[in-house]
Amino acid sequence: MTIAEKKNRVIEPETLIGKRIAKMDAPEKASGRTRYIHDINLSGQLHGKILRSGRIHALIKSIDTSAAKALPGVHVVITAADIPDQRPIGVAKDHFPLKVGRVRSQRDEIAAVAAESEEIAEAALKLIKVEYEDLPVISDPEEAIKPGAALIHPEPHGADGSHEHLKQGMSIAHKGKPDNIAMRFDYAHGDVVQGEAESDVVVEDTFKLHYVTHCCMGVSGMIAEFDASGNLLMYSNTQVPFLHKREFAEYLNMDPARIRIIQPPIGGGFGSKLDIYPFEVICLYLARAAKRPVKMLFTREEEFLASPTRQPVLLTLRSGCKKDGTLTFRQVHTLHDNGAYTSWGATTPFVMMQTFSSLYRVPHCDYHTAAVYTNNPYAGSFRGYGNLQATFAIEQHMDMLAEAIGMDPLEFRMKNAQDAGEVSGQGMSFKSCGFKDCITTAATRSDFSRKFRENAANRKKPGNIKRGIGMASMLHVGGGAKIYPSDGCGTILKMDDFANVTLITGASEIGQGSETVLSQLVCEELGLPISAITVVNNDTAITPWDVGVHASRTTFIAGNSAIGAAKKAKSKILAVAAKKFECAEESLDLRGGFVIRGDSGEVVIELSKLLRNLHFQDKAELVMTTFYYEPPSVHQDKGFKGDVSAAYAWGTQVVEIELDTDTGFIKLVKVTGAHDVGRVLNRLGIEGQIEGGVVMGQGYAFTEDLIMENGIMKNPNFRDYKLVTAPEIPEMDIAFIESMDGEGPQGAKGVGEAPAICMAAAAANAIANATGVRMFELPFTPEKVYRAMHGQTPKLYWKPWRVE
Amino acid sequence: MTELKHYFAPTSLDQAVERLKDGDVTILAGGTDLTPQSQAGRIKFKHTLMNIRHIPQLSGITLEGREIRIGALATITEIMEHPLIKERLPVLVEACDHFASDQIRNAGTIGGNICNASPAGDMLIPLLVLDACVELASMPEAKIYRHCMPLSTFFVGPGKTRKSLCELVTGVRIPIPEANHVARFYKHGTRPALDISTISIGIAGTLVDGSLSNVRVAFGAVAPTPTRAAQTEQALEGQRLDEATIDKVAAIARDEVKPIDDVRATAWYRKEMIHNITKRILSHVAQA
Repeated sequence: MTIAEKKNRVIEPETLIGKRIAKMDAPEKASGRTRYIHDINLSGQLHGKILRSGRIHALIKSIDTSAAKALPGVHVVITAADIPDQRPIGVAKDHFPLKVGRVRSQRDEIAAVAAESEEIAEAALKLIKVEYEDLPVISDPEEAIKPGAALIHPEPHGADGSHEHLKQGMSIAHKGKPDNIAMRFDYAHGDVVQGEAESDVVVEDTFKLHYVTHCCMGVSGMIAEFDASGNLLMYSNTQVPFLHKREFAEYLNMDPARIRIIQPPIGGGFGSKLDIYPFEVICLYLARAAKRPVKMLFTREEEFLASPTRQPVLLTLRSGCKKDGTLTFRQVHTLHDNGAYTSWGATTPFVMMQTFSSLYRVPHCDYHTAAVYTNNPYAGSFRGYGNLQATFAIEQHMDMLAEAIGMDPLEFRMKNAQDAGEVSGQGMSFKSCGFKDCITTAATRSDFSRKFRENAANRKKPGNIKRGIGMASMLHVGGGAKIYPSDGCGTILKMDDFANVTLITGASEIGQGSETVLSQLVCEELGLPISAITVVNNDTAITPWDVGVHASRTTFIAGNSAIGAAKKAKSKILAVAAKKFECAEESLDLRGGFVIRGDSGEVVIELSKLLRNLHFQDKAELVMTTFYYEPPSVHQDKGFKGDVSAAYAWGTQVVEIELDTDTGFIKLVKVTGAHDVGRVLNRLGIEGQIEGGVVMGQGYAFTEDLIMENGIMKNPNFRDYKLVTAPEIPEMDIAFIESMDGEGPQGAKGVGEAPAICMAAAAANAIANATGVRMFELPFTPEKVYRAMHGQTPKLYWKPWRVE
Repeated sequence: MTELKHYFAPTSLDQAVERLKDGDVTILAGGTDLTPQSQAGRIKFKHTLMNIRHIPQLSGITLEGREIRIGALATITEIMEHPLIKERLPVLVEACDHFASDQIRNAGTIGGNICNASPAGDMLIPLLVLDACVELASMPEAKIYRHCMPLSTFFVGPGKTRKSLCELVTGVRIPIPEANHVARFYKHGTRPALDISTISIGIAGTLVDGSLSNVRVAFGAVAPTPTRAAQTEQALEGQRLDEATIDKVAAIARDEVKPIDDVRATAWYRKEMIHNITKRILSHVAQA
């Protein structure tokens, strides 16, 4: 190629944004080559197993591990008595990994074994003898708040009645809790009394939300190893490695700098790996005691029994509006079943109150939650984080209020939906807002209004199949959530002398496709094909800090961080090129692996050649940059007010069903969704994420139900815990509203949790449209639907109650 | 840890039934029930695990005189795809089509489904209304002894049958239905695949001039065993399928069953479904 030709060569502009790009980990996963934690085995590793209570609420009178210790192949057997330095874990520090003196739920950890094989470890568990003294079981949160109810966390006493057997501290695990209230939340804006006085119509109903769990295909597990110098290496599927590194250090009383967490590819997260669970700390204790690597993997049954759940909620909502369709107020009381201990489930009111206060314009809002201790499984964080529950109540009331004033439900929603530029009563500032576009797009594409009218008219006609259509919308954080002191993410970006990029990011890939989206953003900035990038994102010894994968934040936060690092690299490269070719930096750009002239697209130099020049000649410099992005959001004040996210995501879903009145069986026919995602980055990825979320929401609405009876889980298996199977997945029509958020990376907002949120609410509205019957309790199994249609469902009512 | 001491894979029926003489044998065919049940601790392995999959006499689907014989090892998939079954016993194909999932159908056998004796066993209801007999083999002395037992008397409780510990189910025999025979099966659950029935219904008979005779009605998941419904059969026998009869029969069916509450449904709902679906099936038959 002659110099003349080279100068004439023009690179046309092209973009990676909005393209359908296969997830970078897809070939490995599809071909079965991905090495999950289950596939990793360390030389010399032992297998850990946990003995669980089996009793629901009992005092532990004695534990005899002698026979287990004597079994050949057993290396270590531990109980709480063997770990004098145990520290309480959990969001409220209300339990010890190995339970002390008392068990409070079926999953409670009593003892643990590390042995040569899983079989030996299991055999050893059977040899451990535990004597219990049963206590009364509280399995109903309404019982837990009655005066004089038995306490789940009474002040601990030793066997001799003294208080001195435990090291005194400030935590609930040490000093107990004089009532069963784990957490409370009280929020208000405006004046609901005035709001009610201004209302022409008021409705009040109680809604009951059930237990479901994440059902990750990859069961929980970890491997822990202490090296000869006492440094700890963990293989863990945590979603928050940097927070956990610090927390594990605290539990082990060691320097966090000596803890390294490697995250192997994960078989599903969905929020379940946001907290530290007893098994993780117990695995560390075993490894410490055995001085060998210890691997611990759950069985599927254990995954059901000892995983966190979505929080069951009893919720009474009172809402009002004027005849002209203006919303006047919402008053909400909820009773959260916290389970025996406190994990993130107790804090879902943070999200729920946002939906109550700010999904639709509501001048007056009053919100109260009590999360109460029971002997049930404890609730954790789960995709949507309380929003499914809140939306289920609100969006049914939107239909009911519209009906009460004789207004079309679509028109009623449009009248109260926010526009860009508004600030909600809770202080959330909607800088980009495609809410109304979501509503109208979903309604138009599904032909909502016509079907809604026709279905209602068909209710009384003959035939056992009734069609129904229902709508629900949602609001969720889409630009991170300032919960921790920092909501940021760090990036290190390095370019080699072939113009390949290594993106080292704090943001973990948990199957959501973040590494692909981050790669797109970086390559877009640097004018490189996606094949030019390698992502390193799974080792705390290498990657910079990130607060973790939660709150639909990764694309937004880690994306902005990655772009920041790429921009710095680009400006460094262009500065060098400008100097070398004696032109202005601003006149140059990067495209297709070349430095080009920005106006004409003419090639100036191949990027790899320029980088080699930079490295091997001149000042021998490498292109390496770092960036830390902190979103411009603020912490909430003491009244829970403030602009907690840098952007907010909106969405509307329309659900169409066919209901068989002979059986109550519902076929989910079609879901039409419109989501304000700011901007589509990876179209293939975002479609997959929406479709997956819809199916998760479908399971919540129709089939999944973790059945608890008196503290006992009745269906810890996939035979009777019914996930949605392939033939049940409906037709989906998903549209994206691109509101181009000014702060978002390339305009994008977070969408990870959004698609699961509306389904149950929209399904409830579809059932009402098909039959005229309102259902206030999930899930909509054939029997529940059939009962409701035959007047066999007593009207739910929970009298609003709050902690005084 | 298990009591299992020996693994035995006979290649002939003789070897198998001889080994069964001491009765201390757990039989393995497809393993789709045995594996999860033993893992869950509901079944305890005996001293010998006998894999019967290599016994040729237990295979095949054949026409034998006036009967169709399905070998105990025939998988649900084989039955579903066999031309003889498709042509002569389409109601069995219907049941296969609602059976678990493709993977389980490929492994699970008809003999296993019968011996597992689940009250909700998917194949058992159509087999009952088709007057199926179970073939049993044993070796009381030095020679094989074979006999047949009507399926309707075979079940005694959940997981319990009249088969003795020394006997092996070798197949099932189904008389070829007469002309004008109709048979229907309906499985009701919460999802189309991988489901245990909430209830299931089989109805068969000879339909001439709108009247049903030789009526067979069987219900699943409403009693400790899959069960024939004598009163419902009697109410239907010889009757024209008009609206009044269908309503009456559906009500008798509802009153005849005595289901229980469990994690899948309440007794009330099961009775309602027996009523509604009996009515639906009979209406379809009347209209056909």
